[in-house]
Amino acid sequence: MVMSDMTYPACNADNNRMEPGLGGGQPRQEFCSVLDNGFMAESIAKIRLLAPYVAENCHPGQFVHLRLPNLEAHILRRPFSVYAADARSGEIQLLYQTVGAGTEHLTTVGRGAQIDVIGPIGRGWQPQPSAKRVLLVGGGLGVAPLYMLAASFRTDVEVHLVMGAQSADRLICREPFSTYITEPCLHITTDDGSAGQHCFTTKVVKDLLDEGSFDYIATCGPEAMQKAVAALAAEHKTVCEVSLERRMACGIGACLSCMVETINGPQRACVDGPVFSALEVIW
Amino acid sequence: MIDDNPAIDDTHLVDKDSLTTVDMGVNLGGLLMANPVTVGSGTFGNGKQYAGFYPLNRLGAITTKGVSGVPWAGNDNPRIAETASGMLNSIGLQNPGVESFVADELPWLATCGVPVIVNVSGHNASEYAAVIQRLETESAVSAYELNISCPNIDCGGMGFGTDPQTAYAVTQLCRKSTSRPLIVKLTPNVTDISEIACAVEAAGADAISLINTVLGMAIDVKRRRPVLARKVGGLSGPAIKPIALRMIYEVYQAVKIPLLGMGGICTASDAIEFMLAGATAVAIGTANFTDPMTAPTVVDGIREFCLEQNIPRVSELTGALL
Repeated sequence: MVMSDMTYPACNADNNRMEPGLGGGQPRQEFCSVLDNGFMAESIAKIRLLAPYVAENCHPGQFVHLRLPNLEAHILRRPFSVYAADARSGEIQLLYQTVGAGTEHLTTVGRGAQIDVIGPIGRGWQPQPSAKRVLLVGGGLGVAPLYMLAASFRTDVEVHLVMGAQSADRLICREPFSTYITEPCLHITTDDGSAGQHCFTTKVVKDLLDEGSFDYIATCGPEAMQKAVAALAAEHKTVCEVSLERRMACGIGACLSCMVETINGPQRACVDGPVFSALEVIW
Repeated sequence: MIDDNPAIDDTHLVDKDSLTTVDMGVNLGGLLMANPVTVGSGTFGNGKQYAGFYPLNRLGAITTKGVSGVPWAGNDNPRIAETASGMLNSIGLQNPGVESFVADELPWLATCGVPVIVNVSGHNASEYAAVIQRLETESAVSAYELNISCPNIDCGGMGFGTDPQTAYAVTQLCRKSTSRPLIVKLTPNVTDISEIACAVEAAGADAISLINTVLGMAIDVKRRRPVLARKVGGLSGPAIKPIALRMIYEVYQAVKIPLLGMGGICTASDAIEFMLAGATAVAIGTANFTDPMTAPTVVDGIREFCLEQNIPRVSELTGALL
C-alpha cells in the first residue's frame, strides 16, 4: 500500500491482529492541522500533519484514513500509508500521488487547514526479531510505508533497499532513506535508466537473492511487482511480507469492501492487512 | 398545555418555555428504542469496529450485518465505487453464517446494553425462516429485519422485495417463526413501493424499513468496463436521500405499521425530515463510513432540535409534516 485515491492502507506492531475498537493501539478520530503540503515531483506530493495520537501510536506499515475538507460530494475517506511519524513533535508525514479527484484536491489544502484523520489503522510490518539481514523493496511510492520500517531495525541488522521509480526525478525518498541505508545496501532502479540500474526492481531482487540469503523481505508498490517479489522470496524460502491496496470505504473493518483472497479465507486489507504474509495471499 | 389560570396547579405539565429534557424513546413495532437512531445493516459490521469511537448504547438499536443460514462468500473485487454524493456497493452479503454469528458476535453484542436487530438474509423463504428459528432461543436478539431487498445477490434478496406475492410469502413464513418484532426491509427498485409495503403489512410485519440501495452503475471510460466486478451495485449516500424521503412519505400514507427510514441520512436535520415524512425511527448507513461519529451526533442533534422547538417527545415528529 502506498497512497492513492481510495485504495491503500497498512499495521500494528503487536503480534495481534488488530480489531479496531477493541484493546490498545486502536484507531481514533483526530482533527489535525496541516503543517505544510506541497509537490516533491510531478504528481507526487508530501503533506505534514499535526496528529499527536497517530504520531505516538503508529507502527511501521500502518495507515491513516483521511476525510478531505471541502469535498462534500466525495463521501468516502482516502487511505494513506504513514511515511514518517515523530512522537515528540506529534507530526506525521504522508506521501501521495495525484491519481484522482480526491488526491488532486488534497494538493490544494494549505497550511493551517484542519483534516479529519482516523488512525493508526491496520496490521503493519512484522519482521522476525531475530532477522539479521533484511531486504526492503519499494516500487514508486511503495517506498513510503518502508521508511519507518527501515528506521526501526537495530544497527546490527543489515538492511538492503531496492528503490524503483519511473525516472530519477521521482526518487523523492532517496535522501531520507540514506540516513538508514547507504551504499552498498542501497539499490536504485529506474524504468528509463536516468538513475541507478536501468531495469525493474525485481531484477535486482533476483540478483540479491541469488548472491546471498536474507531473513526477511518487505515489499510495497504495484501489485504485479509485489507478486513477483513474493514468488522470488518463496523460491528462496525467505520470509516475505507484502502491503496490499484495495478500494476501501470504512477503513476500520466494518464494510467488507477491501477483501484480499488468502489461504485463510477472505481478509480485510484495512484491519487484517494491509501487510500480509506473502505466502498467505492468493495472487 | 398552556393554561392561563394561575389557580390550577400545572407544575406537572411541561413548561414549553423551559423544556430541559426530551423523551427520546420510540416504539418501532414493539421494539422499544431509547432513541430513534439505529444503523443501516452492512455499514456497521456487528458493532465492534465502532465501539472504540463511542459507547454503542448511545444508539437506539444496533442493526447487524446480514446473517444467512450458511456462510456466504460475497462478490469479487472491486466491490465499491465512489460516485457523486454517494457510493455503489456490491459486497454480496458476505457473512460467516448464523452459527458463527451466534458463537462469535452475539455474546459481545449482548454486553452492549442496546437492542439488537438481526438483519436476516436468504436465498428462499425457508432459508430466512431457518435463520430466525435458529436465533429464537438467543436472548440477545431483540428483533429481526428481513432483507428482501439486496440488489447484490443472484438468487433471493431483492427478488423477494419486488413482487407483492413473494414479499407476502416470505414475511408470512418468518412471522410464523417468531413473536419478536419483525421488520421487513424494502427495495426502492420497484414501480410502486406502497404495494409491497401493504403486502408485508398484511403478512404480519411489525414494521417496515426503507430504503435499501438504488440499483446503479459506474463505468471506467478508459478501460471501457464497469467499475464494479459485478457490473451493477447498490447506490447509497446523500445522492439517494430525496428518493428515500419520497418513499417514506408514500408508504406512511399506505400502511399503519411504523417505519424505519434510511437512505443518505448524514445529519440530525436529515433524520428529522425522515421522521416528519412518517418514520418512527431512522438508520445511519453510508455516513458511518464518512464519519464514524455520525450516529451519536445525529441523536444529539435530534434532541437539541426538540429542545429548541419545545417538542417534549421525539415521537411527536413522526408524520408531523404540515
